[in-house]
Amino acid sequence: MIEYPEIDRYADLDSILHKFDPRAKIVSFLTLIFSIVLIPDLKVALMAFTFSVFILALSKLPLSFVFKYLKWVTMFVLSIFTILALTFPGEKTSFYFISLSKDGIYSGALISIRAIAATMLVFPMIGTMRFDETIKALYMLRIPNSLVQMLMFTYRYIFVFADEFHRMLTAMESKGFKLKTNLYSFAVIGRAIGMLFVKSYERAERVYQAMLSRGYTGNPKTIADFKMDAKDFFLATLIIFFAIFLHLMK
Amino acid sequence: MKAVVVRNLSYVYPDGTKALEGVNIEIEKGEKVAIVGPNGAGKTTLLLHLNGIIRNKNVEIFGKNIENMSREEIVKNIGIVFQDPDDQLFMPTVFDDVAFGPINLGFDKEEVKRRVEKALSMVGLLNSINKCPHHLSFGEKKKASLAAVLSIEPKILVLDEPTANLDPKSRAELIDVIKKLNESGVTILIATHDINALPEIADRVYVLNKKIIAEGSPREIFSNTKLLKENNLEVPEIFKLFEVLRCFGYNCDELPLSIDEAIEHLTKTVETEGGHIHLHIHEHTHDDIEKVKRKYNHHL
Repeated sequence: MIEYPEIDRYADLDSILHKFDPRAKIVSFLTLIFSIVLIPDLKVALMAFTFSVFILALSKLPLSFVFKYLKWVTMFVLSIFTILALTFPGEKTSFYFISLSKDGIYSGALISIRAIAATMLVFPMIGTMRFDETIKALYMLRIPNSLVQMLMFTYRYIFVFADEFHRMLTAMESKGFKLKTNLYSFAVIGRAIGMLFVKSYERAERVYQAMLSRGYTGNPKTIADFKMDAKDFFLATLIIFFAIFLHLMK
Repeated sequence: MKAVVVRNLSYVYPDGTKALEGVNIEIEKGEKVAIVGPNGAGKTTLLLHLNGIIRNKNVEIFGKNIENMSREEIVKNIGIVFQDPDDQLFMPTVFDDVAFGPINLGFDKEEVKRRVEKALSMVGLLNSINKCPHHLSFGEKKKASLAAVLSIEPKILVLDEPTANLDPKSRAELIDVIKKLNESGVTILIATHDINALPEIADRVYVLNKKIIAEGSPREIFSNTKLLKENNLEVPEIFKLFEVLRCFGYNCDELPLSIDEAIEHLTKTVETEGGHIHLHIHEHTHDDIEKVKRKYNHHL
């Protein structure tokens, strides 16, 4: 079986964040994420990290689901941390026989914690609503139409293309192809990907015809029943206040 | 009144292959018409002309040249359901997809919702309204893409292979919806290979193979052996069975095309022949059966 990138797999759970109005959720969470990545101080970053963990717990999303994606981010920032710790100029400290930079460790830790805290928030933000609701919320927040459409079609067709590529691989394997790390394998996979591009292009043409047949004019409008109530305003204000608070602390 | 008139329509693909040559078609309002023909006969290309996706001046919809119609006017009059439902369902959820047409036509929110619910209940998919198309079965996708066009409530409905690759139940349900729509006054045009469904979904048939080869009732088309052979067409199994029964001495001038017609015919025969049907084997029965078998074996 292929694994689909289903970010909204747990959109049907029931939590305070699942009930949060999508527009308010996106605006407040994005504010918080931007605020976190701009934090200059390690202690504040640790506080933000704790808050992110708290929010994640509130969302009731399974940790295994979050870590499946978060581990890549973690691995990436840890490599930055290592490089900074080894190469940053300034005061040195030694760990067994390795010489490490104190400033490097500090800024490496700051960068890592900020990055992990910020990306961790992405899950309670878009993992707690169906992806179509995310798209509708972006549409209602007046995000440029072409951007929203691109996101919409990507989300719709990524599954179709994943299926198509998987079918091609199955067909290749059933004709005796084995994926190895040699030039031949890469050439074959390369050709298959090329074929996928051609198929995608042809599908795009047919999709466009289907859209025209139903009155597409370049500006798709959608209908969404979002209602903001006092609870949503309160929660959004709270999160945005925390985002500002992170920068008022000295 | 004529719903669709196509006059002397030709089309050549950019690579020079001829797709259509001087095609003429006329469809009356309220009719249900099928287009049959081998693979690559130009059926889909013809359908793309009918709502101006391929621009041309040889098509008239309700007496008006399609060149002089706005996109909105075309969409309101003629709805096309394409073959691959993954091309047809491009929005994130079933609701959004079925609402796409009505929203584009500028209906208000309440009207859009009413139309979406009506269209989805017609195809029996109301329960899947919030699902994303990726989670539907092929049959459900087919039904959803039909609903997405029904919500526009077009006067003419064009379907490209509506029953292809469906399981028997979904196929029967889809045929049922098509029949009901036609009874409510929608003009239907279907491109299909599904010969067994043809008698139910079409009063009249066009045989297309780059040009119009023949036109007539399903019975007229199925009775023309030479035509069938030249265009790789089949006849319904029921039709063949009664031709075989005729070899056994069953008295049948007009061969039934569907189960319903067969039941009617058998009942009539039993009633007129005193409560039973008489079949027998003569010297020439076996030769006759051989002839019938040979007639429908294209590869022989």
